[in-house]
Amino acid sequence: MKPAWISVLVLALLVFLPDVAHACAVCFDARDENRQAFVATTVFLSLLPLGMVAGAGLWVRRRSREIDEKIDSEAPSDR
Amino acid sequence: MAVESVTFALEPRPEPMRRPELMADGVMGMLIFVFTEIMMFAGLISAHAIVRSQVAGEMWPPYGQPRLPVQETAVNTAALLVSGIVLVFAQLAFRKEPSRARLPMLLALLLGLFFVGAQGTEWVALLGEGLTIQSSTYGGFFYLIVGAHGVHAIAAILALGWACYELHKRRLTSSQIATVSVFWYFVVLLWPILYLNVYL
Repeated sequence: MKPAWISVLVLALLVFLPDVAHACAVCFDARDENRQAFVATTVFLSLLPLGMVAGAGLWVRRRSREIDEKIDSEAPSDR
Repeated sequence: MAVESVTFALEPRPEPMRRPELMADGVMGMLIFVFTEIMMFAGLISAHAIVRSQVAGEMWPPYGQPRLPVQETAVNTAALLVSGIVLVFAQLAFRKEPSRARLPMLLALLLGLFFVGAQGTEWVALLGEGLTIQSSTYGGFFYLIVGAHGVHAIAAILALGWACYELHKRRLTSSQIATVSVFWYFVVLLWPILYLNVYL
């Protein structure tokens, strides 16, 4: 099977197989504080890994540039 | 027919410049481990926030449960934060002269031991007052979150103790002290967040 077909198949499975997810009755209640806590923790848990990966990526980019500049400044000139 | 041999004077080729590594392998591995641990504690804090939001009348701790020793733990928190600052000085001293890092590393280790010892004493007192892991969700979350941090604190103390021993034997490298420090900083910086969420 070609890789493109595999990608289409995986995408189709991801789109059509999942069902709607509901919070269980034990966890969820109608109080406003509870709903706010669900929203806040969902945002927190969604953004935290993205923030860590983005932070690490930015740090690597900055450090890589610093190293490049150091190599350029130390490299002997052609003349 | 005579064959003339011709010799060329070859100029020595310059050594190819080795690109410095972005960070030590140990530090990279420790950072990946710390990222996963951050997500584990984020899950625990989130679960705690959800359960806390369900308590009727915002009565937290729940009725009949002992109060946590907020002020005593604030002293422990200060000790742990100071240990992190002292370890920064140890790293700076290590760059100049490794033997200079001995005293601040030992001080950080002692502060860490004080923190774990004081937390253990606090647990004994709370168990005596009837707060157990099964007494309520309040007790369950307290022992789970604070206990998980305590396990990490003990692991950090063991790692720093090993680093002190290696320094004493003059075998400690800059990447090793950096790797141990990353884990120590994680334990130090995580604690105030847990303290604010669990104790206050």
